[in-house]
Amino acid sequence: MALHRRELCVSKSVLYSASPLLASRTPVWRSKFIVAGIGLAFVGLAGRAAYIQVFANEFFQRQGEVRFARTLALPANRGRILDRNGLILASSVPAPSIWAIPEDVDASKTQLAHLAKLLEMPLSELNKKLVNDDKTFVWVKRQVDEPVAQKIAALGIKGIYQRKEYKRQYPEGETTAHVVGFTNVEDRGQDGMELAFNNQLAGHAGSRRVIKDRLGRVVEDVGEQVPPVDGKDLELSIDSKVQFFAYQKLRDAVISNKAVAGSVVVLDAVTGEVLAMANYPSYVPDKRQNLTGAQLRNRALTDTFEPGSVMKAFTVGLALETNRVKPQTQIQTAPGRLQIAGSTISDSHPNGMLTVEEVIQKSSNVGTVKMAMQMQPREMWEVFSQAGFGQKPQITFPGVVSGRLRPYKTWRPIEQATMAYGYGLSASLFQMARAYTVFGHEGEIIPATLLKSEEPAVGVRVFSARTAAEMRKMLQMAAGPGGTGPKAQTVGYSVGGKSGTAYKQVGKGYGTDKDRKYRGWFVGMAPIEKPRVVVAVMIDEPRAGKYFGGDVAAPVFSEVVQQTLRMQGVQPDMSVKPQIVTHPVEESF
Amino acid sequence: MTRLSVVLLLAVIASALYLVHTQYESRRLYVELEKAMAESRKIETDNERLQVEKRAQATPLRVEKLARDRLQMRTATPAITQYVTYVDGAAPKGAVRE
Repeated sequence: MALHRRELCVSKSVLYSASPLLASRTPVWRSKFIVAGIGLAFVGLAGRAAYIQVFANEFFQRQGEVRFARTLALPANRGRILDRNGLILASSVPAPSIWAIPEDVDASKTQLAHLAKLLEMPLSELNKKLVNDDKTFVWVKRQVDEPVAQKIAALGIKGIYQRKEYKRQYPEGETTAHVVGFTNVEDRGQDGMELAFNNQLAGHAGSRRVIKDRLGRVVEDVGEQVPPVDGKDLELSIDSKVQFFAYQKLRDAVISNKAVAGSVVVLDAVTGEVLAMANYPSYVPDKRQNLTGAQLRNRALTDTFEPGSVMKAFTVGLALETNRVKPQTQIQTAPGRLQIAGSTISDSHPNGMLTVEEVIQKSSNVGTVKMAMQMQPREMWEVFSQAGFGQKPQITFPGVVSGRLRPYKTWRPIEQATMAYGYGLSASLFQMARAYTVFGHEGEIIPATLLKSEEPAVGVRVFSARTAAEMRKMLQMAAGPGGTGPKAQTVGYSVGGKSGTAYKQVGKGYGTDKDRKYRGWFVGMAPIEKPRVVVAVMIDEPRAGKYFGGDVAAPVFSEVVQQTLRMQGVQPDMSVKPQIVTHPVEESF
Repeated sequence: MTRLSVVLLLAVIASALYLVHTQYESRRLYVELEKAMAESRKIETDNERLQVEKRAQATPLRVEKLARDRLQMRTATPAITQYVTYVDGAAPKGAVRE
């Protein structure tokens, strides 16, 4: 029974030691195989580690960096444009642009209405922009004012973002628009000085490499940092006050004469600086929608026309310089007509016997031509070229034109005659103003500049100082009683200058009497003994009855001279009937 | 030998933790520096903007309009100007240049 139970026991519990499987010896290769397998796995790991750490290290390093390091662009500030007294003519101010991810925008009706009001756009237009669901990016409005942007940010609408941008502001507006120019939305110069000196103004953007944490905050600088180089300020020769009233007077004259356009240039006769250069019509640089070419053109520099009577001063100057005539030499201009190679040159009315001085004063074509025909074409060409005609003014400004002066070898006698009184060649108003510095600067033509320079300019001699003084006297007579431009006179200051009137070319000729178009201008200087300023005014197509340069342009000249000299603190050189109250009224507080 | 190892181990751990702390602290301070710099830039641009605004309020056009309309001023002409010559050191009282 006991045995039986034991047997039972045995049969119940398995006797492992007695397993036949154990009885057979394990082959050695199996353990070796396992060891080898594990070993191989380690080798694989080591290889991978070596690959990552050594061979492909650069790739992984970069991948890591991409996930936390960022390169930030450091934009450079664009330099300001200042006038000669340091007043701001153009400056960059932050103007954030508003953009949106339409599908993310989540705003209540009142919020949207508020936003539309801040952006100054109809609600319907705003909705149209935001309804475009398939777009992931849409500009809502570019370059809004900083305070507005802050209010928009305060609304806290989801899906509306801001991008930092800069915008140019032009406090002087349309007055200086043509000189200063403007920039585009990328802050790059497009016209005027903004374009001419873009490189200097723009500066260079810098960059820095940083590590950002998960909240997007910069926590560390890595690598080198390139600091931004801000653009340099640009100091112009423009005096914003002179510029302002020159523009204002010009605008008034253009409007009252029902003219198409007008230009005015004010030069400092000592330093050659451009104190003012204005054109009408102009534009507001901040609002450039619907601009026309007529508004954009800086006519004083880009439009050329036949200078007409203004040239007579150079022809007569040359005659004086070469001792062919004296100021008192008598010249017979009767009967007011002259035949040259089959063509007739005539005066507006016959003058009879005139002195050289009176030829300028009365602006006699016949008298001028008689003097010119004694001269060689080469001599005249040389003086005209030296005075800057047919030459591009050495001035850094986009769109400057050179005008036209043909080589003297191609001149026919009739052309020499017409060129003596300003037809058959062309120049811009700016060139004329600069040419007259010959008389204003003791016979030397001085380089004009739009940048501030305190130094007296070094000129190139065209005439002797004596000739220049004699010419100034004639110009004074021309702007005086009995001359062609008495309206150029101004209270307190002696002025001298030459008016000009020309038919505008219409098609091939100068038009018939009915549809003739005119251009009137006046170029002169003051005070006449020692000129401080040279002023040139041009009125294009006056249509209110008067069209002579002495009638339409000279009054502008007069007012501009008056104000400019007063502004510069120049003492009047002519006696003025004082209107000062001699018995002052007691001031009341 | 073993004790030395334990001491060194503790020292290493302490130094490592301190490093973590310093790194954290440095980044925190850096963030603050960044914030301050951003603020300074903002103030600078604000200054620039306000200067332009100030200038826009003082354009010759506006000055003249205000002088004429509100203060009833007139443009000075040589007729109503007394010019006096400035003699160095002996300027008469109340001399005006224009």
